[in-house]
Amino acid sequence: MSARSADQEVSHAIARMKAGILAFIFAMLGGGGLFVMTAWLLIKGGPQVGKTLNLLGHFFIGYSVSWPGAFVGLLYGAVTGAIIGWCIGIVYNRIVGVPSAS
Amino acid sequence: MSTEVKNAVVIGAGPAGLTAAYELAKNGIRSTILEADQLVGGISRTVNYKGYRFDIGGHRFFSKVPLINEVWDDIIDEDMLLRPRLSRILYRNHFFDYPLQAKNALTGLGLFEACMIGLSFARTKVFPSRQERNFEEWVSNRFGYRLYNIFFKTYTEKVWGIPCTEISADWAAQRIKNLSLVEAVRNALLGGGGKTKDGKIITTLIDEFKYPRLGPGMMWECCQSNLESQGNHTKMGRRVERIRHSHGKVECVYARDENGELEEFSGDQFFSTMPLRELVNMMDPAPPDEVIKAANSLAYRDYLTVVLMIKRAEIFPDNWIYIHSPEVKMGRIQNYKNWSPEMVPDYSRTSLGLEYFLWDVDDEWTWSDDRLIDLGLKETVTLKLIEENEVEDGTVVRMKKAYPIYDQHYQSHLDVIRRYLDTIPNLQTIGRNGQHRYNNQDHSMLTGIYAARNVMGAKYNIWAVNVEKEYHEETVSDEKATGDRMIPRRLVPDDDAESVASDAVIRAAFAKLDPFALGSAMGLVFAISLFLATTALILKGGEVVGPHLSLLGHYLIGYKVSWSGAFLGLIEAGIGGFLLGYVGAGLRNWTMSSYTNLLKRRADLDESKDLLDKV
Ligand SMILES: Cc1cc2nc3c(=O)[nH]c(=O)nc-3n(C[C@H](O)[C@H](O)[C@H](O)COP(=O)(O)OP(=O)(O)OC[C@H]3O[C@@H](n4cnc5c(N)ncnc54)[C@H](O)[C@@H]3O)c2cc1C
Repeated sequence: MSARSADQEVSHAIARMKAGILAFIFAMLGGGGLFVMTAWLLIKGGPQVGKTLNLLGHFFIGYSVSWPGAFVGLLYGAVTGAIIGWCIGIVYNRIVGVPSAS
Repeated sequence: MSTEVKNAVVIGAGPAGLTAAYELAKNGIRSTILEADQLVGGISRTVNYKGYRFDIGGHRFFSKVPLINEVWDDIIDEDMLLRPRLSRILYRNHFFDYPLQAKNALTGLGLFEACMIGLSFARTKVFPSRQERNFEEWVSNRFGYRLYNIFFKTYTEKVWGIPCTEISADWAAQRIKNLSLVEAVRNALLGGGGKTKDGKIITTLIDEFKYPRLGPGMMWECCQSNLESQGNHTKMGRRVERIRHSHGKVECVYARDENGELEEFSGDQFFSTMPLRELVNMMDPAPPDEVIKAANSLAYRDYLTVVLMIKRAEIFPDNWIYIHSPEVKMGRIQNYKNWSPEMVPDYSRTSLGLEYFLWDVDDEWTWSDDRLIDLGLKETVTLKLIEENEVEDGTVVRMKKAYPIYDQHYQSHLDVIRRYLDTIPNLQTIGRNGQHRYNNQDHSMLTGIYAARNVMGAKYNIWAVNVEKEYHEETVSDEKATGDRMIPRRLVPDDDAESVASDAVIRAAFAKLDPFALGSAMGLVFAISLFLATTALILKGGEVVGPHLSLLGHYLIGYKVSWSGAFLGLIEAGIGGFLLGYVGAGLRNWTMSSYTNLLKRRADLDESKDLLDKV
C-alpha cells in the first residue's frame, strides 16, 4: 500500500467500538468507583457517615454506606456501568454503520 | 512466453545484461552477449590506468533485496569488502559532516551564519511555501532556505545542470522514503526505525557498504568469465545497430565490430540494456512516428571524470567529498584508495577522481584530455586539497548518458515507447537506460533476473522494479504463471507478519471517533438514564420526592423530580450528553492526529537527512 493511501486510511478510518470492552471498562469504573467512594466515607468516619451517598439506596435496593453496602454498591455500580457502556457502544456502532462486536 | 528458449541475445554487458545472462545460464539457457565497448560492467566498470583502478563515480554495493545479495555472494564471495563510509561536504574550505551535525556545522559556518540558518528555518516553519512545486521550495520547506542554499542548491545544480527552481518537487519527494503515518507511528512507538529487536542500531548505506576488492568491475569481470566457462560468450566491441523484427517478433540483431564489419545474431529471446532512445531508432522496420518522436525526446545527462595521480599517501580520509563551493565546476571528488586499498598500485600514492556532470553539447565535453586534466588540477589546488607539483599523471574517462533525465514529459514519452514495445514480446528492455530509470546496480540486476525468468514462464512486471521502495515483494503481476514451472511464492517473514499485526493495532488505535455518533450515543444513554432515575423516584413517592436529584435543576434549566421534569430532563440530558460526546470525540481525534503528524514530520526529516546521496 502506498504511503499516501495508508495515511488516508488512517485519517479517514472511523473507529469502531467494541461494546463488550466498553461495557467492561464502564463496569470497572462504576463498580470500583462506588466501592472506593463508600469505603473512603467509612474510613473517614464522622457523626453522620455518607448522608448523601446513602440516597443511592433509592435506586440500588440494599445499598447503604456500610461495609456490606460497599460490596453491594460494587455490584450495582458494575452492572449499571456495564449497561451504560454497552449501550453507548451499541448505539455508536449503529450510527457509524458497523455491527457491534462484543 | 515460451519455455522452449534455445538461444538468447543480450545487448550490453553491464550489470543488467550480465545478470540476465547469468540467470538464464542457471536455468540452462544459452546466451550471446554483445558489448559495444572493450570493457564489461557498463557504467559499473572499473578502468585500469597504469595500475590505478577507478570507477565511474564510486559504486557502493548495497541492496535490500536478498536475491541480489545472494548473486553478489555467488559471484565474488571472498573478494567483497565491507567498507566504512565517510563522505563530507567541502564548502568554503571547511569540511562539514554528512549527514549534517549541528555542532560541526556551527563550527564551520560561524555563530552569525548559524543564527541566520536557525532564523531562516524558524521562518519556514511559520511561513512555509504554500505550494511545493520545485526542488527549491521542497527542500527549503524542510530545512529552511539558507541551509538549502548552502548545502543543496549548488551541488544539485552541478549534477543536473538546471536551476533548482526548474526541478520538479516530485523528483525530490520520490527520492525520500515517504513513510506512511502508520509506519511513522510504528517506528516511534515500537522502535522500528533503525534498530533491531535487541536494540542494536541497523547500519545503513550511510554507515557502511560492500565493495569488491578491485572495484565494481571485478564483479562484472568475474560474472563474465563465469558465463564464458559455461559457453555463454561475450562479444566485445560489437555495437548493435539494427534490430530486425516482423510479426511482433525480433528475428535478429546486427552488430558492427571494430573493423566495421556487420554481423548478424539471431535468437529466440532478446534483452536490451542500451538506451531506449537508441533502441527505438534501431528498430527495423521503424516504429510509428509518435514512438520515434517520444524516444528522441528522452534526455540524458553526461558525465566525465578526471583522475589525478598524486605523490602523497594521505589527502583526506573520506571515500568521497561533495564539493559545494560554487567557484569550481567539479561536483564530487572520489578518493579510490579509501574505497579499497588495492585501487592504487603503490600505497604511497593517491588517485583522486574529479567528477564533472555535463551535457554532451557543453564546451568542456569536447575539450582535450590535457585541457580537462589541467582544469581538474587547478580546481583541486583552488580547493586547497593538493599542491600543483604533487600531481604525477592524469587521465580522463567520459561516460555518455550516465543519468536518464526525469523531465516533465519523460513519463508520457515512456508510456508511448512501452506500448510499442509491448507488441514485441520477445524483446525485453532492462537496466538503467534500458528503462530510462534512475536505477542502481541492484535495481538494474533485478530487472535482468526478472526478465530472464519471464522467458521461462514467469510473469514479472519488470517496470515495477524501483517504482515503490519495497519492489522486491510486489513485482509479480496478478496473472498466474502460464509456463510449466510454478513460481515459488515467498512466505511472509515473521518480522513482516509482526509488523502487519502491529500496523493493524495502530490503525485501530488511531482511527477517528465519529463525534456525531459518540455524541448521539452518549446523549441517548444520558437522557434515558435521567428519565428512568426520575420516574423511579416519582413512582416510589414519599413526602418530598427526590429532593437531591432535583438539585440537577441548577444545571438543567427547569428540571425537577416530576413528570414534566422527567421529560424536560430527558431532552436536556440528551443535549448535554451529545455535546459531551461530540466535543470529547473531537478533542481525542485532534490530539491523536496532532501526535501522528508530529511523528510523521520527525520521520520525514530523518528520512531526508541523506538527501544528497540521492541527488
Ligand atoms: C556517477 C554514477 C554513480 C553511481 N553509483 C552507484 C552506486 O554507488 N551503487 C550502485 O549500485 N549503482 C550506482 N550507479 C548506477 C549503476 O552504474 C547502474 O545502475 C548500472 O551500471 C546500470 O547497469 P545497466 O546494465 O543497466 O547499464 P549500463 O551500466 O549502462 O550498461 C549498459 C551496457 O550496454 C552497452 N551498450 C550500450 N549500447 C549498446 C549497443 N548499441 N550495442 C552493444 N552494447 C551496447 C554499454 O557499452 C554498456 O556496457 C551509479 C551511476 C553513476 C552514473
